[in-house]
Amino acid sequence: MEAHLTDTITLASTPQALKGTYKGVVKISLMLAATYLVAQGLSHYLPAADYRQFFGFSNRIAVWIVAELHLMFAAFVLGVPIFAVITEFVGKATGEKRYDDLAKEFTKLLAMAYTLTAVLGCVLLVLFVALYPKFMGYMTKLFKPTWLLYIVLIFGEVVIAYFYWYSWDLLQGARKKWHLLLGVLVNLWGTALLFVADIWVTFMMSPAGIDDAGNLTSLWAAINNHTWMPINIHRLLANVAFGGAIAAAYAAVRFLNAKTDEERARFDWMGYVGSFIAIAAFIPLPFAGYWLGREIYQFSEQMGVSMMGGSFAWLWILQAMLIGGLFLASNFYLWLGMGRIPGAERYVKFQIPMMILLTIGFIVWATPRSIIASGAEMSAMGGSHHPFLGLFGVMAAKNTAVNLMILTTFFSFMLYRRGNRVPAVPWAATGKIVQALAIAAAAGVVLGYGIYSYSVPSNIRIGFSVYQVGAVLAAMAVFVAIDIPLLRGAQEIGAIRWGQIPARAQYALFFLAISFTWLMGLMGYIRSGIRQYWHIYGRVMDESANAYTMMHGHATIIVSCITVIFFLLVSVVFWMASRNEDGEGEAK
Amino acid sequence: MKATFFKIFAFLLVTVSTYSYVGQLVPQFEEHPPAKKVITVSTPPAELAVIGEELVRVKGGCLICHKVTETGNERGPDLRKAAGQAATRKPGMDAEAYLLESITTPDAFIVDGYSKMMPSALKPPANMNLAEVKAVIAYLQTLGGAEVSVKIEAGDIQVAKAAGPVHRGKELMGQFGCIGCHKVEGEGGVVGPDLTPIGQNRSPEELMRKILDPSAWTTPGFPPGVMPADLGKSIPEGDRHEILAYLMGLSGKAYSPTGAASPWSHEGMRLGLVILVFNLAMLAALAWARAREKKETT
Repeated sequence: MEAHLTDTITLASTPQALKGTYKGVVKISLMLAATYLVAQGLSHYLPAADYRQFFGFSNRIAVWIVAELHLMFAAFVLGVPIFAVITEFVGKATGEKRYDDLAKEFTKLLAMAYTLTAVLGCVLLVLFVALYPKFMGYMTKLFKPTWLLYIVLIFGEVVIAYFYWYSWDLLQGARKKWHLLLGVLVNLWGTALLFVADIWVTFMMSPAGIDDAGNLTSLWAAINNHTWMPINIHRLLANVAFGGAIAAAYAAVRFLNAKTDEERARFDWMGYVGSFIAIAAFIPLPFAGYWLGREIYQFSEQMGVSMMGGSFAWLWILQAMLIGGLFLASNFYLWLGMGRIPGAERYVKFQIPMMILLTIGFIVWATPRSIIASGAEMSAMGGSHHPFLGLFGVMAAKNTAVNLMILTTFFSFMLYRRGNRVPAVPWAATGKIVQALAIAAAAGVVLGYGIYSYSVPSNIRIGFSVYQVGAVLAAMAVFVAIDIPLLRGAQEIGAIRWGQIPARAQYALFFLAISFTWLMGLMGYIRSGIRQYWHIYGRVMDESANAYTMMHGHATIIVSCITVIFFLLVSVVFWMASRNEDGEGEAK
Repeated sequence: MKATFFKIFAFLLVTVSTYSYVGQLVPQFEEHPPAKKVITVSTPPAELAVIGEELVRVKGGCLICHKVTETGNERGPDLRKAAGQAATRKPGMDAEAYLLESITTPDAFIVDGYSKMMPSALKPPANMNLAEVKAVIAYLQTLGGAEVSVKIEAGDIQVAKAAGPVHRGKELMGQFGCIGCHKVEGEGGVVGPDLTPIGQNRSPEELMRKILDPSAWTTPGFPPGVMPADLGKSIPEGDRHEILAYLMGLSGKAYSPTGAASPWSHEGMRLGLVILVFNLAMLAALAWARAREKKETT
């Protein structure tokens, strides 16, 4: 009888799920048709020109703001399903409903974010066609087949993602495997979408597959250019980190507005999982970043040097400050979180040494190569490089510092993880020693290569960073591989008191989300800016009045404006998500 | 709820303002694209050296790796000594030839203590012509305290072509067979009128009309109806605009080759088809689910 009832309810929900999905398809159909007609109409009726202004506003800044906002929302909607489906898998494997609820909570944020991503993408396309007609004409000619593929992928993503959301309650129980399959498909489709979009942006950085006159000789070579795959991987990881940070910020808002202990416990846990995902995806990001850097050097030494040692060098100091801040904030959150774990007080003694290590790493990483100094100070130093501090201003020191910071943060998280547990296996002492040795060996490799890289040229030095990150990743893998069996059947000192965390911990989560967003804006500017006065590096020149590299101060103000606009838009998504839940609660 | 929102918003503003403030503390400068300088065979040596200095600083991007003052980058050799040491770098090669080779084919000889990392100045992104390379040599000679000995020859000066695949009109006219009947810049057939000066008397709109509809008018002295009626329509719209840009340019008139495709172009039809397919598929799925639901209920 009960099975029959469930079946009836499930069957009754199928058209509802499809109806919800179809609404999404209608929405995207109307948006794309309108975009196409507006873009064509503007091209047709506006006087012919190579460049156009945006109502007296700079065309470059208009495109920059909309492109970055589109990218941020796209990162969010591509990142969230990755960890939503992983959480769902964990729920299925452990049989714990809270994981399934959490995955649903993550996915709930998506529906509205998809709409905003699509609207921003449509506006961006219209701006490109209207403001940069010559450049767009060329790109369209080269990549015509990929545009069509992109449209098909957008529709596919909308259908699968909306159906994934609307069929959540429908595909439970024995049908859960179909829902998980949908989740996997959303991610495969989303990744394909990302890879196609990256073709255009990476071709602009490192063009290939065209002859001297700019005619296409090989579409595959143009697609598989030097920076395509490194940027694909870099963005994929960054999307997960970014999505995790934004989901954690959502949980923090809900925690601060919670009216009951139950709600506080639920959103405390969600914030913790979101921040864990953000940091876990953030740790291998430098590896992908170094790979990208190496490919940039391989493509054009001049572009690489301009990025790291030329006009953009100072922005890496800003990046160091941001990432240093991220490390400090994430450790601060973990340490505050230990307050709600019985038994974690055993590890408080490690906090001060870790803090010192992180602070030293931060200082080294943020040390500029050239010191800003007066003429007298410069002549006293014998140049713009300080005789002692100058040693910390080069990548040799910075790579070493960041890898040690990664290792410290990882160690901090591992202590958090075993906060309320005491290993019960007979080989516990040996296991802990091997874990300590793995960490020490990685630290040794990082320091060794750091010192050695002072004596090699920059193109070889950048390759060392791969070994340093490799050692850190290997140590982490060994540590975790031992930790899992080590803590199996461990004695529990007490249950984690979810919800009993100070409000300032939630501000640490906001700080993570804001800094991730600002960092994304800054790195996007550097990546795009290193093309300097080229639309397509070395091939198609920017002949507009905006073809100059602006002052760093102006660029950072624009990045801040973008971040504020993004969070205002995100707060609408948060508000819609919590309003829907309140509505559901009242209906129940 | 509102109080929390304002607190978080204030926190956001403080955080991003701090980051922007740090952005103001780092050195501030703008980098502009290289100015176009005219070099001729009669450019005086002093002026040539000044142009060369500008090329070293901006278009060539040489100072990313080299230095010309006490403070500067040391990835490449010190340029103040470059001209002075050039004569002794490679046996049998004079200073000027060595400098020319080191700028145009840098991998041919690597100075001890440095690595292969310099791109040829003739290739992107510097994209210099030989006259510009010689201007750089003139600057290096002045920098080293020597007399400018380098000479610009007529063959060194190439007309700067627009970078990239724009204004390809001449090439397209050959590709679509226009040159078979019309003469342009002294090349081509005589069946139709010489199109070299056509931009002087006709507007781009008139020329576009003529390409699309050859019967629109006939130039006096030439027989009507020779040009195939559908020839122009077979040329893609963007390429037609490129041809117009080229023809107008021959008369010294600027015309952007950026053309608008018709809303009923292939792209529009393809987009419409994709929209139709996905909507029909969803409607079919919905109808199937409803029919199944109805059947289960009954």
